[in-house]
Amino acid sequence: MKRCRTWRKNIPAAIYGELDAKTREKLERHLALCEECSGLYAGMAATVRKLDVRPAPDAPPQFWEGYWDRLERRMVSEAERKALPAAEPFRPRRAFSAPRWAYGAAGALMFLALGIFIGRNLLRPPEQSIVVTRAVPLGAVPGGQTALDAGTIPRPLPVRASHYLKRSRVLILAVVNSNLQTEDFLSLSLPLQKKTSEELMIEAAALKKEIGSSDRRLERLISDLELILLQIANLKSDPDGSDIEIIKAGVESRDILFKIKLNEARSSIAKSTAGLAPGPRSDSLDRAIV
Amino acid sequence: MSRRDEARWADRLIAGDPSAFRDFVEAYKRKVYGLAYEMTRNHSDAEDISQVAFMKVHRSIGTIRPGRGLNTWLYQIVYNTAIDHIRKRSFYPQGALPSLASEPHFDGPPDPGAGPEKAAEAACLRRRIDEALTKVSERERAVFILRHYHDLKLKEIAQSLGVTLGTAKSYLFRSLRKIQKELSEAEACPDHGDRP
Ligand SMILES: [Zn+2]
Repeated sequence: MKRCRTWRKNIPAAIYGELDAKTREKLERHLALCEECSGLYAGMAATVRKLDVRPAPDAPPQFWEGYWDRLERRMVSEAERKALPAAEPFRPRRAFSAPRWAYGAAGALMFLALGIFIGRNLLRPPEQSIVVTRAVPLGAVPGGQTALDAGTIPRPLPVRASHYLKRSRVLILAVVNSNLQTEDFLSLSLPLQKKTSEELMIEAAALKKEIGSSDRRLERLISDLELILLQIANLKSDPDGSDIEIIKAGVESRDILFKIKLNEARSSIAKSTAGLAPGPRSDSLDRAIV
Repeated sequence: MSRRDEARWADRLIAGDPSAFRDFVEAYKRKVYGLAYEMTRNHSDAEDISQVAFMKVHRSIGTIRPGRGLNTWLYQIVYNTAIDHIRKRSFYPQGALPSLASEPHFDGPPDPGAGPEKAAEAACLRRRIDEALTKVSERERAVFILRHYHDLKLKEIAQSLGVTLGTAKSYLFRSLRKIQKELSEAEACPDHGDRP
């Protein structure tokens, strides 16, 4: 019969109860008329019934007991392998996949460390300047600041930029890893994170001005960061998963965590190849701190 | 998993709840391992595939979108990981999979209500089915396993394997036909009467 082929393809679907009532009825009508197809149906249905004797594969209980531990160990070691020290030579993108794994779990371990780190570093006021007892004026400072105001001089731009990027990174990781369910998060972490975001945004504006055209890449990164920081600062006091998701998507689409990592690698290479001189246009600043 | 379960898991994973991933692993490890095992017939390969699949799941949490089928997403990852693994190891040539029966823990729990004869008969039939499954191609087998043992709808299976619904239906038809043929051609198990 001409339509047998079409009907046959639907026989397994019928056996597994996937046909809608109308199609099923049509199939039944065909089976009533077509001996060949009805024989096929009967044989296949009998086969499926026989399969009941074979349970789904399973492993012994002791295998399952240690399953998570083995998986976690492997995840941690893969993460360690991938998160290379910053001074290592550049690798293609994949080598720095820290942002992705950091999003959750190798994670569970890292989370604790992160919490401690946030407490110690992120929430401490930014080290914008250091006190010097004897400053050596050495000409113009980019951004028009004078080095000797009130006995303090600004830290070199690259140092501040790097510190700024680190704090931003820690903040972003903390936010995207937030456990929205906990009271601690809503009453303690979130308000602090929002406040830190605001501070970092103010700092970003100043940094961008100073960087100017000397490092376009860094300037763009800070601009991208500003958008994310703004989203964090504007988070409502009881954010849900989709609010965090939007931030996460922004971070990912701009590859922000990777770029921060890259910047760290760049500056540490600059340091290792040129002694302490960190980057363009900062020599005068460096000398000023001696 | 039901639609509601899927949505619940998706929300928890997206929210970055640190315990969500571990709970997810605990909830789905058997399914993930099960498919990997059926695809390779080897315990350590199955564990390796399941671990790699879960690591991919973890890395891809950012790609979960609320409302998108988590089931399909998960099985797609597992299936592709298994296929990669098989290709990479250029594994067994088609049709030369070792029989499941060689793995002792796969005999399944004995039915306490059945007598020794019945149990022997069931074990024999299980072996026949295992052998029949080795004659089925990877894709056909995956479709059959996902439909029969994992209770996925054909539409979900099609999405997981990246094929059309019609193709998934054909694979299921062909796999069942092959199993049927193999069982009818195999030597009958004692007193089961499964010969035609
Ligand atoms: Zn017909």
